[in-house]
Amino acid sequence: MFRKLVAAIVVLGIAAAAAGWFLSAPEHLPEEVVANLRAGDAGRGELIFWAGGCASCHAPAGAKGEAKLGLGGGQRLDTPFGIFVAPNISSDPRDGIGAWTLAEFADAMLKGTSPEGKNFYPAFPYTSYARMKPQDVSDLFAFMQSLPPVSGKAAGHELGFPFNIRRGVGLWKRLYLDSAPVVPEDQLHGDTELSILNRGRYLVEGLGHCGECHTPRNAIGGLEKTLWLAGAPAAAGEGKVPNITSGEGGISSWSASDIAYYLESGFTPDYDSVGGEMVSVQENMAKLPASDREAIAAYLKAVPAH
Amino acid sequence: MRKLVLGVAALCLSGMTAMAADDPIAVRKHIMDSVGAAAGLSGGMMKGEVAYSPAAGKSAIATMVAAASAFGTFFPEGSDMGDTTASPKIWEDAAGYQAALDKFAADAGAAMAASGKDGPADLDAFKAAMGPVMGNCKSCHEAYRVKK
Repeated sequence: MFRKLVAAIVVLGIAAAAAGWFLSAPEHLPEEVVANLRAGDAGRGELIFWAGGCASCHAPAGAKGEAKLGLGGGQRLDTPFGIFVAPNISSDPRDGIGAWTLAEFADAMLKGTSPEGKNFYPAFPYTSYARMKPQDVSDLFAFMQSLPPVSGKAAGHELGFPFNIRRGVGLWKRLYLDSAPVVPEDQLHGDTELSILNRGRYLVEGLGHCGECHTPRNAIGGLEKTLWLAGAPAAAGEGKVPNITSGEGGISSWSASDIAYYLESGFTPDYDSVGGEMVSVQENMAKLPASDREAIAAYLKAVPAH
Repeated sequence: MRKLVLGVAALCLSGMTAMAADDPIAVRKHIMDSVGAAAGLSGGMMKGEVAYSPAAGKSAIATMVAAASAFGTFFPEGSDMGDTTASPKIWEDAAGYQAALDKFAADAGAAMAASGKDGPADLDAFKAAMGPVMGNCKSCHEAYRVKK
């Protein structure tokens, strides 16, 4: 009897380990998506680059002007899971991503999988980028490969057990990596034209990855999508990231044009200036066409209030 | 009578300096409120929510000039404690802070010089003059203010 029990436990244990290994395998893009990737347009890619906020983490902290195009990494994100260090994503073929193919880049952006077939940690917000259109990924790649190479690898992450097991991120991705929109069209209220709301949704939920900081997370770091954009404790440091819905403590008193003006100029409706981590985000948003800032504003006014 | 007036005036003045010396945090908040109000008027005109007038434009610029020349004198040692969002960096990096104040004053002064007697003639002239002044808000807050 006892021997049978032990045998059963061993068998179950092996089965669980096998299932865990299988379920945690990094996913790749479907072959037809890869086959249909077209070479990108670097000019268009520049706007994708700013909308995606790549430089906010991968350029040196506090970089201004041209320095934002030096993507050597090195910024440290001190989170409850450990310290993540932004890697070098410059066009340097050895220390950056200059040797990557477009398909490898698309796998990273849309599936969180590295060219070596490893899982990226979701400090790299592929959970949002997964909503990007393939053509935008191509354009972004073309632009980034046109930027100057920066030599030197960034330091590795400093994570404790169990977060240091990269393979485990595969299980996490099964739960939280989803390319579907967060807010369905029928939950966007107001009378703004749907095409504008959808553009805003694409910029906020996808490229801009606003939800990564403005939405609270559960104990294992998954976004609480029922509290979408309702504000959250800051991932790093002690601050709070504000609620940007029209709910309590949110921005219901801001008009759509107030939001658009804030993203353009950095001034709140009472003429305080943008602060903290948002400075770099606002400077990125200021580089987009006015119609994109207006679309973001329209979307934020239309999402469910929390 | 004249002596009385002079006496009262002197008292008022000494009262003001006493207040400034006693509570620099309160004074610098008043100054920053006036900057915020001037930025609000300017932004309202730039956004088209408030009709532009050269006199209003010049008034906003003049407020910035006055604030920029006065603001830096209200950060004595020890005034980092209390109800303030001033960053400790103001005292740790006094030279850097002074440089930020100097840039604010220089930009405001240039806007004033471009205003002429009656103020910037039209909204475009106002934007060109005031835009760089308002850029100081963010850069200085980013470096020398803490959020509470």
